[in-house]
Amino acid sequence: RSRGSRRRTLTSPGPDSHSRARPDLALAGAGSGARALCPGCHGGVWARQPSWRPRSSNPFTREQEQEWRRRNRTVLTYVAAAAVGMIGASYAAVPLYRLYCQTTGLGGSPVAGHASDQIETMVPVKDRIIKVTFNADVHASLHWNFRPQQTEIYVVPGETALAFYKAKNPTDKPVIGISTYNVVPFEAGQYFNKIQCFCFEEQRLNPQEEVDMPVFFFIDPEFAEDPKMAKVDVITLSYTFFEAKEGHKLPVPGYN
Amino acid sequence: MSTAMNFGTKSFQPRPPEKGSFPLDHFGECKAFKEKFMKCLRDNNFENTLCRNESKEYLECRMERQLMAQESLEKLGFKDLMDEKSEAKKNL
Repeated sequence: RSRGSRRRTLTSPGPDSHSRARPDLALAGAGSGARALCPGCHGGVWARQPSWRPRSSNPFTREQEQEWRRRNRTVLTYVAAAAVGMIGASYAAVPLYRLYCQTTGLGGSPVAGHASDQIETMVPVKDRIIKVTFNADVHASLHWNFRPQQTEIYVVPGETALAFYKAKNPTDKPVIGISTYNVVPFEAGQYFNKIQCFCFEEQRLNPQEEVDMPVFFFIDPEFAEDPKMAKVDVITLSYTFFEAKEGHKLPVPGYN
Repeated sequence: MSTAMNFGTKSFQPRPPEKGSFPLDHFGECKAFKEKFMKCLRDNNFENTLCRNESKEYLECRMERQLMAQESLEKLGFKDLMDEKSEAKKNL
């Protein structure tokens, strides 16, 4: 009965002045049949169109639709959880992989327990001669003359060897440089052990100063037993010098 | 340093030297020994095996002048040279 009175306010002015000013609300009142189908929707004057409405009017299939809807929601939740899990796993993989490499020593990463008394007991493999060539590079902003003093040296695994680089500062100001190195082929790098060199620490050269920079190294005797290294006869050691600036950190090896 | 961003391919991992860095020889105190070593290398076609005595002398010079931490030469891989020397002394 009340519905009927509301409908009448559409056409004739009445005591209910709300509906005249807000015709959309009157429409909501007119569509009262929808309220029965959407029990969760808030009814009343402020009702809008419900967001989901079952397609069928048959009550049995309606229930099935609701069941499907619930199942779809469950599946969607699982899929979303799996996606979030994947993203989390990809972030966690970085430290885990590092840990794995450190324990197993794969990928040429430093193996724990590389003792220096190995040098004392190692036996040179005299029949395997390897040519070590030297390369020197300088970053564009560093005006040093940096070059190796020998182009190559012939060593055998298990024997310590000495090599020299020379650096000169032709400018009028003291310059601090810091260097890093590279060994090619990469797989041979894990056998290339430097006992002492001039890398990763700041080296200061006064104006017009020229110094000799030695590298004392050896090639691990296990190099001769690695089948992957059977064809490797030339190893290139390459040093690059950068200018050490205040606050600029060269990535020093090691996991910090 | 490798710049290819390939996941799974081995990239080069630089390792710090075992005994750290040589202090710079600003005054050229061991330059004579270095020159002797380089001359030996040039004469012997850059074979390291034949010039190990000279390299040992260079490192001894550094150790004397505090340009290198004192270390027994056996630990630096010169054990065979030490054995030879002691043998020669014994035979004398």
